[in-house]
Amino acid sequence: MTKQFIIIGNSAAGIAAAETIRQRDKESKIIMISDEDCPAYCRCMLSYYLAGEVKEKTLSYRPANFYQGNNVELLLNKKVARVDPKKNRVICEDKTQLGYDALLIATGARPKFPEVKGVKRTGVFGFRTIKDAQAISAQLPVTKTACILGGGLIGLKAAYALKKRNIEVKVIIKSPQVLSQMLDGQAAELVRKKLEEHGIEVLLGQDVLEIIGEGDVKAVKLDSGKAIGCTMVIVGKGVSPNIELIKDSEVRFNQGILADRFLKTNAGNIYAAGDACESFDLVSGEPGINALWPVAVEQGKIAGANMSGADLTYDGSLGMNSLEFFGLPVVSLAVYKVKQGDSACEELKIINPRENKYKKLILKNNRLLGAVLVGEIKNSGVYLRLIREKIDLSGFKDKLLEENFGYPVIKDALIERDTTYV
Amino acid sequence: MLFANTNTMKQLYYDVKKCLGCRSCEIACAVAHSLAGELFSALREEKLSLPRKKVLPAGGKNYPLSCRHCQDAKCVEACMSGCLVYNKEKGIVEHDEPRCVGCWMCVMVCPFGAIRPNLIAKIPIRCDKCKDKDEPACLKACPTGAIIWQEEREK
Ligand SMILES: Cc1cc2nc3c(=O)[nH]c(=O)nc-3n(C[C@H](O)[C@H](O)[C@H](O)COP(=O)(O)OP(=O)(O)OC[C@H]3O[C@@H](n4cnc5c(N)ncnc54)[C@H](O)[C@@H]3O)c2cc1C
Ligand code: SF4
Ligand code: SF4
Repeated sequence: MTKQFIIIGNSAAGIAAAETIRQRDKESKIIMISDEDCPAYCRCMLSYYLAGEVKEKTLSYRPANFYQGNNVELLLNKKVARVDPKKNRVICEDKTQLGYDALLIATGARPKFPEVKGVKRTGVFGFRTIKDAQAISAQLPVTKTACILGGGLIGLKAAYALKKRNIEVKVIIKSPQVLSQMLDGQAAELVRKKLEEHGIEVLLGQDVLEIIGEGDVKAVKLDSGKAIGCTMVIVGKGVSPNIELIKDSEVRFNQGILADRFLKTNAGNIYAAGDACESFDLVSGEPGINALWPVAVEQGKIAGANMSGADLTYDGSLGMNSLEFFGLPVVSLAVYKVKQGDSACEELKIINPRENKYKKLILKNNRLLGAVLVGEIKNSGVYLRLIREKIDLSGFKDKLLEENFGYPVIKDALIERDTTYV
Repeated sequence: MLFANTNTMKQLYYDVKKCLGCRSCEIACAVAHSLAGELFSALREEKLSLPRKKVLPAGGKNYPLSCRHCQDAKCVEACMSGCLVYNKEKGIVEHDEPRCVGCWMCVMVCPFGAIRPNLIAKIPIRCDKCKDKDEPACLKACPTGAIIWQEEREK
């Protein structure tokens, strides 16, 4: 019997789900709904686009005939206002209603703006969509100095992009280090130095009290009493999931939409994936959102398969990231700091500040919990595998940070048999 | 099929007992992927061509390591620019290099450590099975016949 699948959100999770459904079911109808006005593009590349390193057309990561080729109906400029699980239908802001046999909510997230005076002034931007990037870009010819609020991934990527466009950039960070959600202090210091070397000013341990101006931004006032003159402010202070559409329904949510091991919500035939979905963390086992591109893709695939009749379980997500600023590569995997007082944890480290190299592995009970790698990131995927599969390290613990470490060292400890070597 | 490379569904296997760890395959690989395609000129190229495979020791043996061209590849899932794509017909994961931004997401997730960053060229490198040639360059370079090039074996 042919069905009608609806996917809200036309990005990492939504596209992965649509592809998976279509692979498994050639007949049924797939409708994708997006409140943006363009086909899918890669959000993570927006900083490269803003920096002028990537053209607009390179942002789309599927061929132009993707929707047609997969027989997917794409509805753009359409916002879903609410979901009605009892009647199996979605209701859009323009009052149209669409029925579904299975629904995926992959609505992602949007920037969180701090509650400070002046945050609505012209010249204050979030950095999430292609529209944001274009609006920022349009402002650059008349911008000399920009302040970035927040020293996380988005803040630093924005800082990098603006610097490449010859803007004077100051990053204002509340915590005492950059990237406090993915690095320890020592690794963060290497990144901070690299940014400063390239002319990006980093102000640590300071928060913004007010964005000053009359209509337009003129300056930001900090809690240290200092004011910094600037005509542009970019906010990179985390994201909140787009879940308004289910808030008045029976679909359960916490921070994000709560999903079980099949990425199904509590309401019949409704699934969730990506930044809007709260599943659970693979290492801690706790519910949580790891708002990342690869996580969204993996969840989209699994949700899509299950919507079309499969029974795949999701292992949980991991906090992980990889980035590079001015030639310094950084990878962070799962646990990046030992919890204070956790004496069962052990750290293995290699530190070479002169070569900008730093490698740290965190172990507990002979299992790898996490890793931070700066300067040299080869084999990160092998460490990730040790974390994911909770492999017993006793046979090769002393080899983990050796120059010759690699997949062959861990091969025999893995569950999966490798037929490549005879 | 016209123009079909009949070798593309073949895979690389390694007879570890025969591998001496001499790294002839690494050199042949780097040369094959250099601009010049020949050792002495290759060494003088501005962006030095690096081998896409590595021979790594473990437990007293040597293991040549190269990309498996996984069907359900983690690197493809993670690639934010969409430049890594699994090509079903050819059975290989292809890399559209001009699209690549060097974000190293692929390096972060490859469960074999088979895609490595070339930090200088800002591009990840990985075995492409010498897709434009009849067979991979490493195959002939191996003095002991430790490298096997054949149809997919039973798992
Ligand atoms: C500048 C930048 C850099 C990043 N860099 C990285 C990185 O290096 N690594 C990494 O892992 N991640 C990175 N990310 C995060 C990554 O982009 C997200 O994790 C990913 O896009 C999540 O995908 P998604 O499909 O869940 O949601 P989204 O990509 O947020 O897409 C959701 C879509 O749904 C639409 N939508 C929302 N509500 C509705 C509604 N009610 N009706 C209709 N449509 C709706 C939205 O407009 C949007 O188009 C970055 C993000 C940004 C902004
Ligand atoms: S790079 Fe790694 S994950 Fe990607 S296809 Fe090759 S072996 Fe598989
Ligand atoms: S480095 Fe290139 S190939 Fe690897 S994930 Fe990034 S864009 Fe894709």
